Amino acid sequence: MGFQIAPMIDVVFVLMIFFMASAGAKVVEKELNMSLPAGKGAGGSAVTPIIIDIAGDGTISMNSQNYGAPADRSLGTLRDWLKNAIESFGDKDPVIIRPAPDARHERIIDVLNAASASGVKNLTFN
Amino acid sequence: MSGSAHGRGGGKKAETRLPPEEDPEFQIAPMIDILLVLLVFFMSISSTEVLQTNENVRLPVAKDSKEKKKLAAGEGQLLINVLWNSNTNSGAIEIDGQPAFERADQLGPILVTKLAATPEFRVLVRADKEVRYEYLRTILSAAGANGVSNVTFSVVDKEESK
Repeated sequence: MGFQIAPMIDVVFVLMIFFMASAGAKVVEKELNMSLPAGKGAGGSAVTPIIIDIAGDGTISMNSQNYGAPADRSLGTLRDWLKNAIESFGDKDPVIIRPAPDARHERIIDVLNAASASGVKNLTFN
Repeated sequence: MSGSAHGRGGGKKAETRLPPEEDPEFQIAPMIDILLVLLVFFMSISSTEVLQTNENVRLPVAKDSKEKKKLAAGEGQLLINVLWNSNTNSGAIEIDGQPAFERADQLGPILVTKLAATPEFRVLVRADKEVRYEYLRTILSAAGANGVSNVTFSVVDKEESK
């Protein structure tokens, strides 16, 4: 019957729909930023830093007070406390995170996530 | 030619009837040209960063993460993959596709050269969610010791749907 372009265009549309669907399902990488006290005058700050400890089993604590059980991924208590601290003292205070050597990276990211959502600008590790 | 010489006056009817329609012949050469143009386009669009990401790294989930920052001119980035082997409970650091190593000692010289090339430099760490902090600490201390202050962790913002 000769060369027909209509079926070829239909095939193109089916392919396009397939790739549009599969691309929508893919997870895109995002990122969380922090800064190290390196090379820019790592002098001591006059304000007391906020220190968050992460234990090996995933418990989050600050000043020996528990702020997150290992199963708590959203860390509501921690977020509220950080929001309060930011509102009271401004966001120039450095927040220092101290994970234990066997703390899982996922837990550390949970804390970074909570800090970023609470508005902490000055975040670093120790 | 004789037709066009006197065709303007009144001879429009006979000269301008279209010949019976034929299907145009199927020409494959233009289609291959389009294919090559598309190929060149996608090759130029893809960046080297896609090649550097290690697919075995399962990134942790962080719902409040920010969009990936595009690198401007004059800014450099070193992408470090930190793999995790659940069987041996050990981690491995991989840079630029080179074979993985455990401690970040080799990281120092690489950072120094990259910092000399681009002062605005950052380190992008793609660590598996199970990696223990001791592996990350070597990377962070190497970065701090060499003057890189901008360290960024890669995350995903929703769970992968299987």
